[in-house]
Amino acid sequence: MNIIGPDELHFGVADVAGCEQFLTDYGLLPKGQGRFEALDGTAVVVKHADDAGLPRKTLETANMLRKTVYGVANGEALRAIHDELARDREVKRLPDGSLESVDDLGFVLGFKVTQRRPIGLPAERINAPGDLNRPVNATAAAASGPNPQPTPRTLSHVVYFVPDAARAEAFYVQRLGFRLVDRFIGMGPFLRPAGTIEHHTLFLIETPPQMQGCEHFTFHMGGPAEVFTAGWNLASKGYQSYWGPGRHRFGSNWFWYFNSPFGCHIEYDADMDLHDDRWVPREVPAETDMSQIFLFDWRTKWAPGGPPPKME
Amino acid sequence: MAQRLRLCHADELREGSARGFARGRPGRDRLFVVRHAGQLHAYLDDCPHQPGSAMAWRRDAYLNPDATRIVCSGHGAEFEIASGRCTLGPCLGQSLARVQLDVDADGAVYALGVEDCVGP
Repeated sequence: MNIIGPDELHFGVADVAGCEQFLTDYGLLPKGQGRFEALDGTAVVVKHADDAGLPRKTLETANMLRKTVYGVANGEALRAIHDELARDREVKRLPDGSLESVDDLGFVLGFKVTQRRPIGLPAERINAPGDLNRPVNATAAAASGPNPQPTPRTLSHVVYFVPDAARAEAFYVQRLGFRLVDRFIGMGPFLRPAGTIEHHTLFLIETPPQMQGCEHFTFHMGGPAEVFTAGWNLASKGYQSYWGPGRHRFGSNWFWYFNSPFGCHIEYDADMDLHDDRWVPREVPAETDMSQIFLFDWRTKWAPGGPPPKME
Repeated sequence: MAQRLRLCHADELREGSARGFARGRPGRDRLFVVRHAGQLHAYLDDCPHQPGSAMAWRRDAYLNPDATRIVCSGHGAEFEIASGRCTLGPCLGQSLARVQLDVDADGAVYALGVEDCVGP
């Protein structure tokens, strides 16, 4: 099953205009008809909750994520997924050539041959004594004012609240060929599909049934400074920081989470670990210090005196 | 120490709108006030499903688009405005922590019994 990762997330929301403004301010590129793309063409698609173009609502919770569309390597991979899932469930073939089905927990899934574009940009360049990477006379920080909002590079991962993490894990591992990379005991697994070496494209968190849904989704940025810049700019526009900036332990990715009008959190991340099949999964209790190796906290004013903080 | 804190003038709170109050800590509201059916309701900005969770997705964005419910944008929980009771989402059946308000003869709105970190 050569699944590469999530290529699109489709949401059915109450506040379409608010969501579109949010994604624009987040840094994604508006492409019309509710589609907001990262540099490689992976996307969030926003429609009104009642839009007939969305799959039917399968969860009776507050969840607004209506479909996770996975990009697969080629037509052969698509056929293999069709044949595997069609053994015990309906698999629709949609007019655009993609497949649509439902996982064992009720999340709607799509599969299509990926159309990710090459990004062709270097990672954020940093200089260290002994290893100089940023070209001479190239400055990293704007001479004045904020750095411009960086454009997210690719859709990194999605996280689900599930009522039965073991059952969900079994579906993705046994039916779709995902690999276990690490596990928080008592919480859930970090999973990656066979077509990527990223630490995770899917993380599952076991919760009571009334919470089932999307917990957050994340786009990869060009490096930690882009995570900080993007989050700083977003917070300065009045958006609510939830957790971060900081750095995760499992995956080593830098993170910054925000509340969103999508009924879930949205994250910026960067510099995630890569793993191949030689990796031995780590399994540890789900304690806070295992999920953040360090954490900063955004604030607009850090000392008494001086002018009040500037907010837009 | 709990105290009586002036938030704003009642006329600043339009029908069907919400407003957060941070004061001591910009970027992180302590409480918010909603005017609904003419009445003012105030709650701590703290979703009961995960203590310490801020609820708005943007400054003052505490309500759904038609202003009939309070929404936590962490995980989409919905709450009745008048009672603060969760009717959908992670904290189903739990309630927001109400903050008592007092409106004086001049229309000044005060929060009662909140910690002094919300200072004016």
